[in-house]
Amino acid sequence: MMMNVMKSIGWMMGLAILSTESIAHAGDKHQYGPYPANYAEECGSCHVPYPPQRLTSAGWETQMRNLQQHYGSDASVDAATNRAILSYLVANASSKEKSAPAEPTARMTQTRWFIKEHGTKPPKGLAFSNCAGCHTQADKGDFSERTLKAPAGWRHGD
Amino acid sequence: MHRTLFFCLLRFSALALLLGNSGFSRAETPQFFLDEYQQAAKSQNPGFKGFSVAAGERFYRNKHGGDWSCASCHTDNPAAIGKHVVTGKLIQPMSPSANPERFSDAAKVNKWFKRNCNDVLKRECTPEEKGNLLTYLITVK
Repeated sequence: MMMNVMKSIGWMMGLAILSTESIAHAGDKHQYGPYPANYAEECGSCHVPYPPQRLTSAGWETQMRNLQQHYGSDASVDAATNRAILSYLVANASSKEKSAPAEPTARMTQTRWFIKEHGTKPPKGLAFSNCAGCHTQADKGDFSERTLKAPAGWRHGD
Repeated sequence: MHRTLFFCLLRFSALALLLGNSGFSRAETPQFFLDEYQQAAKSQNPGFKGFSVAAGERFYRNKHGGDWSCASCHTDNPAAIGKHVVTGKLIQPMSPSANPERFSDAAKVNKWFKRNCNDVLKRECTPEEKGNLLTYLITVK
């Protein structure tokens, strides 16, 4: 029992540190990480975890409802994991119209915000789903200018 | 006050137990999965003779009539770091010799077989296919 209590206190402290860290980053609009472990694991294996702040909750609901047909891949997760991840996404979602879905599958790359920032043609040999192709620390949720390395000659917004 | 503290601790002990059970569950081994697939293959097909490295390798490289093979993302060498064919995301090696985390957690193994078999074959994989594949993966160092 004592061990369990000690363990619990350890967990509480761990959780507290994690949440303080998220709050510390929340002020910087290019810092979205660190992501919760379940989100990074389930939605960061085939692509980097995408920032929850860059799609509206309606968009995330569409994404999480259609995981079995996820752009040509089965990305399904069990029901409990789905609920947990969706609540994280919704709690951190954008409320701005420019981040609202623009087509039925709610691609983030089709939102007005994304197109304004990136245009509609990705750099040669890269897909827009490959954030880390230019945002070198995207896997950690760091999209700052400092870590951005777009290929030479690529015109942002073309 | 003491009551509140007690309940608070009680709640967090429950949480720790829950996390403890899911986070540090008994690790499975590749052999555990081979045994499971063998048993299932035998019960589906009484003539089942055992798994084959060659059949596993063919399965790994075959596109099975679709666009992707296992090798499309996990590369020609399953002991090397893979790269997702669309998103460019790096994927740690599939071979348990190169990456001991592979085939050590039943929930993960079942989840990924379900997803990736749907991606490549548009259906679930049979126990025989899984067993052949794992038999091949184990040999790649």
